[in-house]
Order: sequence, then C-alpha cells, then structure tokens
Amino acid sequence: MRCVRVWFNKTGTIRYISHLDLMRTMTRAIRRSGIPLWYTEGFNPHPYMTFALPLSLGMQSLCESMDIRIEGEITNGEILTALRSAMPEGITITAVAEPQIDPKYIAYAAFDVDFFGISDVSALQTATETLLSGEHLLVQKLGKKGHKKVFKEIDLLEYLRSYSTALSDGVLRLHLVLPAGSTTNVNPALLCDEIMKCADGGYYVITRKKLLTKDMEPFA
Amino acid sequence: MVNKEVEKILPLVQKPGRYIGGELNSIVKDKNAVALRYAFCFPDSYEIGMSHLGIKILYAIANERDDVWCERVFAPWHDMEEEMRKNNIPLYALESGDPIKDFDLIGFTLQYELCYTNVLNMLDLAGLPVRSKDRHDLTPIIVAGGPCTCNPEPMTEFIDVISLGEGEEMYDAFFDLLKDCKKRGATKDEFLRKVAQMPGFYVPSLYDVRYNADGTVAAVTPQDGVPATIQKQVISDLDHVHYPDKFVVPFIEVVHDRVVHEIMRGCIRGCRFCQAGFLYRPIREKSADTINSQCRRLCDVTGYDEISLSSLSTSDYTHLEELLDKLLDWTIPEKINIALPSLRVDNFSDELMEKLKKVRRSGLTFAPEAGTQRLRDAINKNVTEEEVLRTARMAFAGGWTAVKLYFMIGHPTETLDDVAGIAELAQAVVNEFYRNPDKPKGKGVTVSISVASFVPKPFTPFQWEPQDTREMLIEKQEHLLASVHTKKINVSYHKVDISFLEGVFARGDRRLADVIEWAWRHGCKFDGWDDSFRFDTWMEAFDACNVDPAFYANRRRSFDEILPWDHLDFGIRKQFLQHENEKAHRSETTPHCRLQCAGCGANKLNGGHCDAMRQSMV
Repeated sequence: MRCVRVWFNKTGTIRYISHLDLMRTMTRAIRRSGIPLWYTEGFNPHPYMTFALPLSLGMQSLCESMDIRIEGEITNGEILTALRSAMPEGITITAVAEPQIDPKYIAYAAFDVDFFGISDVSALQTATETLLSGEHLLVQKLGKKGHKKVFKEIDLLEYLRSYSTALSDGVLRLHLVLPAGSTTNVNPALLCDEIMKCADGGYYVITRKKLLTKDMEPFA
Repeated sequence: MVNKEVEKILPLVQKPGRYIGGELNSIVKDKNAVALRYAFCFPDSYEIGMSHLGIKILYAIANERDDVWCERVFAPWHDMEEEMRKNNIPLYALESGDPIKDFDLIGFTLQYELCYTNVLNMLDLAGLPVRSKDRHDLTPIIVAGGPCTCNPEPMTEFIDVISLGEGEEMYDAFFDLLKDCKKRGATKDEFLRKVAQMPGFYVPSLYDVRYNADGTVAAVTPQDGVPATIQKQVISDLDHVHYPDKFVVPFIEVVHDRVVHEIMRGCIRGCRFCQAGFLYRPIREKSADTINSQCRRLCDVTGYDEISLSSLSTSDYTHLEELLDKLLDWTIPEKINIALPSLRVDNFSDELMEKLKKVRRSGLTFAPEAGTQRLRDAINKNVTEEEVLRTARMAFAGGWTAVKLYFMIGHPTETLDDVAGIAELAQAVVNEFYRNPDKPKGKGVTVSISVASFVPKPFTPFQWEPQDTREMLIEKQEHLLASVHTKKINVSYHKVDISFLEGVFARGDRRLADVIEWAWRHGCKFDGWDDSFRFDTWMEAFDACNVDPAFYANRRRSFDEILPWDHLDFGIRKQFLQHENEKAHRSETTPHCRLQCAGCGANKLNGGHCDAMRQSMV
C-alpha cells in the first residue's frame, strides 16, 4: 500500500458542486478507472481518500489535490492515464506524484478573481484599488461559537497578504493572497462582495491558483 | 451547458448543482444534426427525478435514434424559479442549456397526482400557455405518460397527447409521425388526428365528455372516427427490450443514487389496494443472466457501489437465488452492495437470509399493510401474523435489531379494532426480539411503523370505494398512537390533507382542470412536499371553481356508474375488479396468480401470455 497525491483542476460549471459532491464524484471516478485501491479493513471497507483543502462551492481551482492509497503494482503514469479517462467534464487530472508536504502546513492561497458584465471596468478597478489600499475593510463573517453560528466583525485588510489588479478585454482581474488552511481561513468572496458594492450588476468568478506554506513555498 | 445568464444566478440559489447539467454519461448531440428535439420533463426536483428509473430507460431509448436529441428537465426549486423569473430566464434543458420552448416535443411523466401544479408551472416557466387549446403551433407538442395517465382526466386540458402504457416501444412511431408532420408543415390538428389513430395514444381533445345532473359522467364520445377506447401498450419480452447501458451519474446526492435494475414487471399478488399491482400486469420476468450482465456493465460505467433490484415484489421473482449467486460472485470482491427492496414475509427463506448477510447490512422492511387477519384478508394481503413473526425471528437471529413495518389506515371495511391491531402486531414483533435467547447483549430493539393513509385508485378493486374523510383518518391516527404502549415502537404517519387531495385527483374528471389552474395561479406547486403544500389555497380553489372535492374523494360509486377513465383500457376487466371488490367485503382472499389465475384479463395485452400463468402450468 502506498499513498499518492492526485492533482486536478476543477473548472467551468462543475464549480457549483460542493465538496461532499466532489468526494462522491471522485470515489465513483476512481472505481470506474479500475486502479487498484486500498480499502480500510473494518466492518465497512471503504477507500482512503483525503483532500488537501476543501474548495468552496462556486470556486474554480487549478491546484486541487487528493491523497489516495493504492495497492498493487501500478506506476504513477498509469494512474494518471486511468484517472484522466474516468473524469467528468470540468475535472482535469494534471499530475500524480508522491506527497511532499503535509496539508497541515498550508497557510495561504492565491486567487484570481475575474469580474464579468461590469459596465465601467476601469472605474471598478479604481474603486478596488482604493478599497484595498485603505486603512480598514470591516465585514461581517459568519463564524461558529461552540455549536452556535454567530456573526463576527473582521478587518479583511488585516488578513490580505498581497493583491494586484489588471484589465484585459474588458474584464477586471484581481489577484489576491489570503490566509488558508485549518487555522486561519479567509474566503475571498467576502472581499469580492465588498467590491461588487461599487459595481452596478455583473458577477465574478474566483479561481484558486496556488496553495502556499507559511514561507510562501508552493504546497506539493 | 448553461449560459452566462444562468451562471449569474447560480451563486444565489441553494444546491446549484441541480441546474448545471454536464453529468457523466449525459448525452450531448449536435443540435443542427437532429430532426427532433425532445425535452423530457420530470415535474419534481432534480433529486427526485434523477432517482427515477423510467426516465433513465426512456432517455436512453430516445437518444438511440440519431435524429432525436432527448434532454432532461426538472422543476426548479422555489429559489431558482424566483431568480429565473426575475432575470427572464426561460426553463431550459440541462444538456444544451437551450430554452425548451423551442423544442419539438415536451414530455412529462406523471408519477403522482401531487405533481400536477408543477406541470403547469414548468409550461409557464418555459413561456408556453398552460392550456392545450391556447397552443396553436404543431411544436412543441406536449405529451404525458406515467402511472397517473391511467386516469389523466384532471390534466387533459393541459396536455396534447397522453401515452398509455410502457413507452419503450411506443416512441419510434410517434417520433416518425412528428418528424414527418414537421417536415410537411402539417398543422397541430392534423398531427393530433393522426396520432389518435395509433395504438396507445390518447388525444383528449378528440373525446367529448358529458355529465349527468348528479355530476357523474354521462358519456365519453369519440369525435371524427377516433377509437372509442384506447388500449395500454406493453412490451412482451423484458430480455430483448432496450435497457440503458449507461446511467447519467448525478454530481449532487439524489434520493436513489445507485444502479437500479428492474427484474420483473407486474405483480402476482393482487393486493386490492395496490394500483401498481394491477396497472403493470401482465407479469413479465427478466432472465437472471440478462440482469447480471447488465448490472455489471452499469457498475463499470457509473462507478456506483450499490445495486438495487427493483420490482413490486422482489422475493416473487422466480430466479432470485440464482440471480443473487451470480451477482455475489463479482460484487463481493468489488465491494458492491446489493439492496433488495420489496421483500415479502411469506416467502422469505433461510437461504435468502444467509445471502442477505453477505451483502452490506441495511435495514429490514416489511409491509403487513393491515393490523388484523380479517382486514388483511379483505385487502388480499396474503400474509399471516405467524409469517410476520417468523420473519422477525429470523431477522433477529441474523443480528438485526431494527425492523420497519409499513401499514395503511383507511382501508375499506376497517374498524378501530383493526387500527389497534397495528400496534398489537408491532408489540408482538418487539416481544419476539426478547424471546430470542441469542439476542445481542446491551442492545434494544426498534420497531418503526410507518402508517400511510389509503387512497382509492382507478383500476383497483377499490376504485368504487369512498376514501376515509380527513376527520376519520385523524381519529384513526390518534387511536393508533393511544394503542402503542412502548417507546420501542416508533410511529410515523402521513399528513391527511395531502392524501385527501391525492384522492380527489386520482379519481377526478376534467372539471378539476379549473381547480388545478386556479390553485397554481395562486401559488400552489410542489404539493407533494410538506413545506410547500398549501391546503387552504387548495380549499379556496375548490370553492372558487364551485367544485366539491368530497364528490371525488369520499363518495361511494355504484358499480354501474360510468367512471371517468372507463374509455381507457389497461387490460384489467371491470367485471374482475367488481368481483374482487365483492370478495373484499366478504373478507375473502384470492390466491396469487401462480397458484391460480384469477382471470384479470391483462394477458390479452401480451398476446395471451403471462409469466405467472406459464409457471403455474408446469
């Protein structure tokens, strides 16, 4: 039995399936691929599968990974080929490799946010720059206090590690680095919703580009 | 694939995965290369619709044809509908994302009466008039099929063509005719007249219904030479009819998320309350080899790890043990679970129990349906208390500690003693657990009883019976609760208001169309969902349309009354049903079809063949 890390992209409308849906989808895809999975030996045998960091519903990603346990003789290249042919549209397997870093060391994530259908993009770019270069950006964040769900106020700019904006083909693209992982996690949608308050209509699509450690090393 | 306008609203709704399409094995064709575009609509949520086996079969068959592209459409949930209306997004099909208004054919499956308002709502969301007479063009033509079409009369004002029976072999001729009419630029009227001459297709607008002063049907008169009765079509051989070689695999969790395989059609039992038991006759079994190889292929292409063997009474399938042996051969090493719903207590063998223990353990459910022997005889549910207890004993000996029992209240001839009998039977099952010397230490037993309210349905021996009023049903529910004396028995029951409405539509006629439209225009939809059901609005609708719902639900019909569905022929002779009704009132049973053919008449649909008869002769 050995552990492999499967890297994949989740793009297009399949971003509207939740993490739980993705796990079910992956379990079935792996079964279809016919790769020799290792099963737990309990009363109810199930395959071992763990995802580095769940992706919010609605977000695309170019840096998803899941660890699975394999039994028997099969190379990473063979796993890659078998999995590729078994995936639904929107999930692309990019690599299969030995895990290098424990997911608990993930500290940051880099995102690209594209704003579509905006009537005046350069005005929105200016507004975004003003917003993000200010002193504070206070928002209500839904958090948990024990089992209760409560709103608490956070200052997004305190967490914003870096950002930049760019315009191309009438689309505003915002690049963001925010804390991510099991200790501190900030959803970029909180920030994007604030930006959308400066626009009249339109919508945005978030793409997670990279996961990073606390030293800004790429998660691998 | 959905367009940008839809993408914009998806972040605003719950479970957007319902609306995106693109699932594995969904079929995408070039729209310019097909002659007919077909929107297969399931008038309920994605989760319910995607659990339905019929849609998988018909989707596959329609798409077998290169000149037809069949796509799926489900009823958007309240939040999605609101966003669609706000943003002027018409109802679209999941595979292409194209508005179904522009399709050639829109088909609805009518699985139960409480989805009727959803049909209207979906037509409206598509941007089409809800009434057939207000849609003048040939396309889209609106067709309906499914079990409710055994009495489609309440919906006939809205649907252009109703297809009676099993769709598998009815599609081809229909597609060919529509394709031809479209090419020639024929009118809707010409198409309807032609299709009405084809076996199994009912064009309600070509039948005139007149009523007596007392509200009963006086006559149903065919116009312009269409057939006086329309006969349900059946397929003759399950082994050779097309079965899908792939299922669309949903992303989001649906109710039945597994490989489903139909092993037998029809039922030998003849329980008098059960519409499905009569509607799907004659009995046809599929061979174990066919089922086994089709299941294996489906598991391979879907990645599912569970197979459910589906039929009305799985343990009556004659090759069940042979089939299980074949399946277990490969499902055990591949860690695939087999589910066997609809087992009976009277032929549940030790061998079957042993095989069940090899598959992953799930709950055990049995359906005695009534609490006393007298009433079980009246409804012809031929199981004895001893058989229920023997099965419970076997289950407990096999390590099960939870058993679920299904019952109904409101059966014809039922008394409060029969209702108390439900609690007594459940108590006897509890006692059986404690009598087991090897019962697991420190573990209690749970007996869950689920009590539905009986709704008399067309084409059953009880089609003439009054449904219990809501007051009577509530009294019986309360009596049942008072008769249960232990916490080891959990009781759950259905809302009587929903059953009442179901009862009205099940045996309704064309005058209910106004009620349905009124209720829908005043906000009724998803009526089968407790949270969405608006009983007060429905009652206002009956009032506003001057229709008495009790006339349909709670009235006893005489045997010589013309029933609204008498011009539809489902193979079962009315005389047979009347005879069965009279036996029920004498609490007399009828043996099942393999012991002795009861002469229901359904074998005429299949050239005189019935698998139950064939076996009883050898």
